[in-house]
Amino acid sequence: MACPESLRVQAYLDGESSGAAEIERHIQACEDCARLRDDILALRASIRSSAPYYRADAALSRRIARDLARAERTSRWPQWLLPGFWAGAVSGAFASACAAALVFVLLLPPSSDRFADDLLDAHLRSLAGPHLVDVASSNHHTVKPWFAGRTDVSPVVEDHAAHGYVLIGGREDFVDGRRAAVLVYRHGLHVINVFAWRAGDERLPGVMSRNGYKMIFWKDGDVAYGAVSDTGLNELTELESLIKK
Amino acid sequence: MDDRRRRFETQALPHLDAAYNLARWLTRSSAEADDIVQDAMLRAFRAFDTFRGNDVKPWLLAIVRNCCLTRLRDRRTKLDMPLPETESDHGDAFVAMDADPETVVAAADEARQLDRIIAEMPAEYREVLVLREMEDMSYRDIAAATGAPIGTVMSRLARARALLKDRWLAHAQGGSNGVS
Repeated sequence: MACPESLRVQAYLDGESSGAAEIERHIQACEDCARLRDDILALRASIRSSAPYYRADAALSRRIARDLARAERTSRWPQWLLPGFWAGAVSGAFASACAAALVFVLLLPPSSDRFADDLLDAHLRSLAGPHLVDVASSNHHTVKPWFAGRTDVSPVVEDHAAHGYVLIGGREDFVDGRRAAVLVYRHGLHVINVFAWRAGDERLPGVMSRNGYKMIFWKDGDVAYGAVSDTGLNELTELESLIKK
Repeated sequence: MDDRRRRFETQALPHLDAAYNLARWLTRSSAEADDIVQDAMLRAFRAFDTFRGNDVKPWLLAIVRNCCLTRLRDRRTKLDMPLPETESDHGDAFVAMDADPETVVAAADEARQLDRIIAEMPAEYREVLVLREMEDMSYRDIAAATGAPIGTVMSRLARARALLKDRWLAHAQGGSNGVS
């Protein structure tokens, strides 16, 4: 394969070269390049007939379809009301993925899902970054006024250390694109983020579990609350009832 | 469904198998390939507005490839270190419905050996072989997907083919006087 033309011969066999006749003539004359051609064609035939070609399975397609539906937050319409869904559905390869997306949409209203996603994302961000609290204090006289200039809700702020829920501070965050006040509690080794935002006409999911994290939602007048943590559900319910008092 | 998602589904999703095949060959693990492709598709969707051009495939595969490299680097796993997958379970799938059992066995063996030889090649050779011979991509598209100049793509392909041939011959010779 020492022939200086070998890369041109390869390019020709890869469909990249235009001077076919000239290269063919060279191959006729050059033993090395004739062997190279035979090798490339034989390896190609082997790879195409025998080497595994791995394909994405239906479960992966479903997960991707679900991700895309979630990522597309601009549209609030159920997917199956829109013509694009049916256009996708008839395209064959995506029929099963879209059918799965339909089931998903029917089972879980997008609104519930959106809140759960947002809360979990925000919770994980708060734990991963240096930004768990903006105002560190267990004194509700410090935390509550701090929210006043920053969010449009004034949530119930109480330290429940006596019950094991220590208020460690407050933070400003976002839920569904709206400003939210976040109360940060510590319970044993667990951090509990309690989000509060101005309630609209959204449907709240009640109780949700995702990736091992528990979430609980409730409304108190015109303030919506969502608590998320890796504690058990019992702890979240207990904190909810303490806040509601 | 908004327009962006519809465009993504018609232009990018048809390359899902290509994305998976590349990730599977680069990571040599179906579980990793699953994770990476799911992640890469979401990244591609979010970045879809920045895509300029007619052919999504090289762009998408570049994202998949980057996700693979990042993942493998994060795990401090060298790309060239074989991650043993469960004993090849795909041999049969590539043997067409052939009535002759001996042919079936021989073909399954060839598939297994070819799989192993390609899987053990250095990653930069493996990827050009996969993109060229399995995806039938042009040099220009392979260059776009791998971020290498076309000249580098050509020389890697040449070396990959030479290496594949050597190892294949070594296997064939070893096989003829060894146990089957």
